[in-house]
Amino acid sequence: MSVAAPELTDVQAIVEQVWSSFLGEAEPLLPQPVPAGAPFPAEDAWSAAITVNGTDGGWSGMVTVELAEKVAFSLTAEMLGVEDVEDGDVADAVGELVNMIGGNIKSLMPGPSALSLPVVAAGRAAHSSEAVEVARFDGLWIGQPVRVSVHVTSIGEN
Amino acid sequence: MKILVADDSKVMRQIVIRTLRQAGHGGHDIVEAENGRDALEKVQTEQPDLVLSDWNMPEMNGIDCLAALRASGSQVKFGFVTSEGSDEMRQRAAAAGALFLITKPFTPEAFDEALQGILG
Repeated sequence: MSVAAPELTDVQAIVEQVWSSFLGEAEPLLPQPVPAGAPFPAEDAWSAAITVNGTDGGWSGMVTVELAEKVAFSLTAEMLGVEDVEDGDVADAVGELVNMIGGNIKSLMPGPSALSLPVVAAGRAAHSSEAVEVARFDGLWIGQPVRVSVHVTSIGEN
Repeated sequence: MKILVADDSKVMRQIVIRTLRQAGHGGHDIVEAENGRDALEKVQTEQPDLVLSDWNMPEMNGIDCLAALRASGSQVKFGFVTSEGSDEMRQRAAAAGALFLITKPFTPEAFDEALQGILG
């Protein structure tokens, strides 16, 4: 039994490319391994999810981004090039973040498939009991936690 | 020259506009659209010289917008700026009449390369 999944190194490379392209190199995103199964280590968090929906054998999965609230607000300000941001801006920026990461992961996996629109929430992400985590990147940015995870809900036959 | 930037994310529209400037293409008039349907209408009313469009948008996505533009007889120059850069997406974009596909995340260099020869 195997589960089709993107390589962790690929997920990490995508996340680091998004960060360096739009958030600069001044504050690097540092990998910070967290034990499997550990909850996202921030009290106040923002999260966003996007799904890849495969057809005719194409890969399906869900990509989730979780950010400490300070990370969410800081990266929004950085992306917009302004000092003060509102919740609506944060929802927009965090949604675009998961869209970029999800779109790049989709491109790595066998198609055909379609990318959903992102869904953003203030709070940690929750997954159904059928969802299996197949890749996860944990990092620190401006000293606060960042997590990108990939889940699948169906077990591959091949 | 007038450029229409279509993306449902205001943050991404800002980044695209900033990146145009960083790529040395800052002197153009910019018009923004929030989705494909908005872009379709603004191509008619604003008559841009180039459309830079996201693919994955609510209301109408970018590829449907491009198809609708061509069906209406518009030959406006059109390029995608999208998170999906697979060969399949590039082929679909080219077949529909797009001149280029820039993948997010992008650099000013990627913009300059795509826009060379298109923008005066």
